Amino acid sequence: MKTFEEKWTAWLDGQLAGRELIEFEASLPDRAAAEAEKRDAKKLGALLKRELGTEALRNEEFFSHQLRERIARESATQDRHRTTTWWTVPRMVWAGATSLALFVLFSVLVVRDRNPAEQSQYLSQILQARVDPVVSPDATITMFESKESRVTVLWTEGLQTLPADYAAK
Amino acid sequence: MRYRVALFTAVIALVMVATPSLRAAEKVWSGLVMAENAEKPHAAPARLGRIEKTLIELFGYNQFEVIGESNKTLKTGDEDWLASSKYFSLHVDAKGVTTGGYELNLKLFKDKQLLLETETKLSKQSPIVIKGPQIGGGQLLLVLIVDGDEWNSTQESQARHPHSDYESNQLMNAWRHLTRFVRNAWP
Repeated sequence: MKTFEEKWTAWLDGQLAGRELIEFEASLPDRAAAEAEKRDAKKLGALLKRELGTEALRNEEFFSHQLRERIARESATQDRHRTTTWWTVPRMVWAGATSLALFVLFSVLVVRDRNPAEQSQYLSQILQARVDPVVSPDATITMFESKESRVTVLWTEGLQTLPADYAAK
Repeated sequence: MRYRVALFTAVIALVMVATPSLRAAEKVWSGLVMAENAEKPHAAPARLGRIEKTLIELFGYNQFEVIGESNKTLKTGDEDWLASSKYFSLHVDAKGVTTGGYELNLKLFKDKQLLLETETKLSKQSPIVIKGPQIGGGQLLLVLIVDGDEWNSTQESQARHPHSDYESNQLMNAWRHLTRFVRNAWP
């Protein structure tokens, strides 16, 4: 069984309903004064709620909260800036791989060209040579290249010597 | 962006592949040259001007005179021709085009007698000199030069930058390898 004070508090808070509400309001000696008091109590409650809430935001938790929010905002902004740059990680990886491949390709080509065993295709070559053994039985043949002037020479010795008349045009 | 890069690469590759086919026909100069020592040597013929110093150093003569010559334009690489003097003739038979030059069969005749025969690969950048028989106090030389831009530009470059030859060769070789690689990779 609730006391009057309990019912009064519940009525002010709007917690009474149904038959209990009707009985309680009927038992009030001055209904208008009670209603006015209820309105005042509600106003006071609202005021206290507002003021106490504002007070709560002024403590260190409020600043901590604000700080966390600001940090989160700035981090998000930085992340956005990071994704807008052209040099993304995949692109950098691709650029690096391409550069490496080109470097290896050129290195292999240039180093292979330096191989002294491989005759340069940019110098002329004497593949084979022979002299008539009947006409010049003691003839010898040598081949060499003058790299300075890029001249390829077939050097013969012991060919048949001829008189000066053969120099005619 | 990727499509643009692919298009650019394709255009470059196409240019590299197409460029050799646009090259003009080249001439091969073949000459019978008499090398002699003279008290007052006259200037070497223009054809030999660029290798005159090498000829002097190699053979020890100071005067060079062309006694027979031929200037053949090669179109298919299968041509044959003759450079003749009164007694000698040099028969040149082109066997085809190779990378950077021509395959040639050379025969030196004295009248109708074969003195010397050789198979060569004549590069566009490198002349061939063959020491022939001794004639009187001089020497018969056979000279073959591809009269093209590559030989001329090589010689001009060498004259301008005598010490940069090796470096430029490396770069040119790398470039040629790259172009050949792209050309071979082209379907």
